[in-house]
Amino acid sequence: MGLAVGAEALVKQFGNIRALDGLSFNMKEGEIFGLIGPNGAGKTTALRIISTLILPTSGSVEIFGLDPVSQAGEVRRIISYLPEEAGAYRNLSGWEYLEFMAKFNTKNSGELKVMIDEAAKISGLSDRLKDKAKTYSKGMKRRLLVARALMSRPKLAVLDEPASGLDVLHAHHVREIIKTYVKEYGVTVLLSSHNMLEVEYLCDRVALLHKGKIVVEGKPSELKSRYESENLEEVFAKVVGFA
Amino acid sequence: MKVKTWKKFSQRWLALLKGFGTILFKELKELIRDPKILLGMIIVPLVMFPVLGLVLGYAVETAQEQAQKATLLVVDNDGGNWSQALIGNLSVAINVAVVESITPQQVVDQELLGKYNSTQFIEIPFGFSQNMSRHTSGDLSVIAIVNVYGVFQGGSVFSDIGSAGVTSLVTSFNRIIAPNVLYTTQSSIIKGEIQEGVDPSTLSGLMISQSIAFPITIMIMLTYSMQIAATSVAMEKEEKTLETLLTVPVDRFSILMGKLSSTIIVAGIAAVTVMLGYNYMLGSITLGMPSSMSVDLVGLGLVPSAFGYLLLGISLFFTLLSGLALAVIMSAFAEDVRGATALVGYIYPLIFIPSMVLMYLDVNALPLALRAVLFAIPYSQPIIASKAVIMNDYATVVFGIIYVAAFTIVIMYIASRLFATEKILTAKLKFRRRGRNRKAEP
Repeated sequence: MGLAVGAEALVKQFGNIRALDGLSFNMKEGEIFGLIGPNGAGKTTALRIISTLILPTSGSVEIFGLDPVSQAGEVRRIISYLPEEAGAYRNLSGWEYLEFMAKFNTKNSGELKVMIDEAAKISGLSDRLKDKAKTYSKGMKRRLLVARALMSRPKLAVLDEPASGLDVLHAHHVREIIKTYVKEYGVTVLLSSHNMLEVEYLCDRVALLHKGKIVVEGKPSELKSRYESENLEEVFAKVVGFA
Repeated sequence: MKVKTWKKFSQRWLALLKGFGTILFKELKELIRDPKILLGMIIVPLVMFPVLGLVLGYAVETAQEQAQKATLLVVDNDGGNWSQALIGNLSVAINVAVVESITPQQVVDQELLGKYNSTQFIEIPFGFSQNMSRHTSGDLSVIAIVNVYGVFQGGSVFSDIGSAGVTSLVTSFNRIIAPNVLYTTQSSIIKGEIQEGVDPSTLSGLMISQSIAFPITIMIMLTYSMQIAATSVAMEKEEKTLETLLTVPVDRFSILMGKLSSTIIVAGIAAVTVMLGYNYMLGSITLGMPSSMSVDLVGLGLVPSAFGYLLLGISLFFTLLSGLALAVIMSAFAEDVRGATALVGYIYPLIFIPSMVLMYLDVNALPLALRAVLFAIPYSQPIIASKAVIMNDYATVVFGIIYVAAFTIVIMYIASRLFATEKILTAKLKFRRRGRNRKAEP
């Protein structure tokens, strides 16, 4: 399998704050890779650089051979980004929102219909898609947004805290969507989370971030046995010296 | 029982007041600590009104000075003793230049007013001295007439100071001689044509109604549409849809243009609507004449031509466009809709001050420095244009359009650069942080 994302010594400075401090990692095609760590570790900053939203202060990234700094337009064609705090247009119905977003990926009406039908299936919102987004619950909105992120079958889906703020049932539904979708269509997923259990369930490999750097990287099962821990939370605590 | 009820009642009110006080205190704290609100609501009005006062005071002073310095051209077609007496009386108060044996229209055609740097003249018609003599000899039914002609310059509140002065000088001469011997007729010189019987001050009064209505309409339209444009990006930020939109495969310039185009369409419709309303308003203003004759502004040529309306519409459109583009840029620096509307408020003095100044003043009567400042503010252009098109001064309007178009292009370029970089997400006005940093420095 080829290299999907390769980050090399990424640094991002916001004024006096160093959000990323030499972040390096590689992920393979078809993999679900998780960046995990506490709030402020630099997860969202890394995902925003990969999604072409912000530029690194130094270092480089490659996404399927493309540079998100100099080839941002090409990168946007093969990725899909779901921000942690995302919303839908309040006065558009779920269906209209999906149609609006799908039109950026295809102009072919046949493909457009397939894409929207796919999103409708993923979201599981059925008839509620006709209602305006402002009437949706938080869980419904997140399902709509996950469906939007996956409907175009991107080569790389960048999902920032995909089950953020959802209750147990909705979070479970979203995780199932991601897992099924990756299996069926071979989409590569880079996700971030501070929920270690979620990551353990979803990811093939994880990287633990602390103060803008990766402190340890590997398969969840490997990490647990290496640090003689019951779960990734314990691993993280041991690595950063809390335990 | 009564004591218990009263205790309960007072306790309830105390609890209510306590809750009210806590919320009020927190709200005030938030408002006062928001530098955008502090600046927009307190500092800007504190600066704006004194500036307006200074400009208007200066305008009155200038108009009075000009009236005192002006030369009054007297066309003496009588050549008698009484005309000499009147001219002598006028000379005491004002500089007088006398020409003889010439018709009022010839004065205009030969551009004598320009030669004597004057905007008005009086004609002492043939037979003036004879009539004065007959009246003073006891034939009270005979009266003498002096014709006052004033150039109509587009109108502003203080433009009548000069003409009112001349009329009062003639009236005071009348009082010296006999109570009811001397009468004046008023005529206007509009675009090189004498309009007999049209009083320039009455005309100015009528034109002021439009010179106030148009700037007020522009003020309302600009502020309202800029508020809407400012929320277009801020709303995306507040609703958390902007990040997603910026990662879809579409050129960032398309996003900006899409957002601006919707406001451009609204601006275009607004410009046409204003033109229609303005045309209707000017058409419906009629000038009541003393001789019960009614002359309307259309008849006097004091409404813009079709070409004038077109230029005025273009000027308005570009001004709106530049205002909207600037509002979009400013909203990019805000985190939410409230912040965006507060930020756009900083532009309002640039709309209000020239609008209010131009309501009262004729831009051409101002000193060069003040005129340059007014011309440099893009939002004053439609108001300047609205007066210029009436006087067929198309060059001023075209120059204004070119200037605003160039300003708009610069603003659009800045907006597109802002959209192309991460600044659209990260740019913020950080008054507070800077203040803290300064404090922290030794």
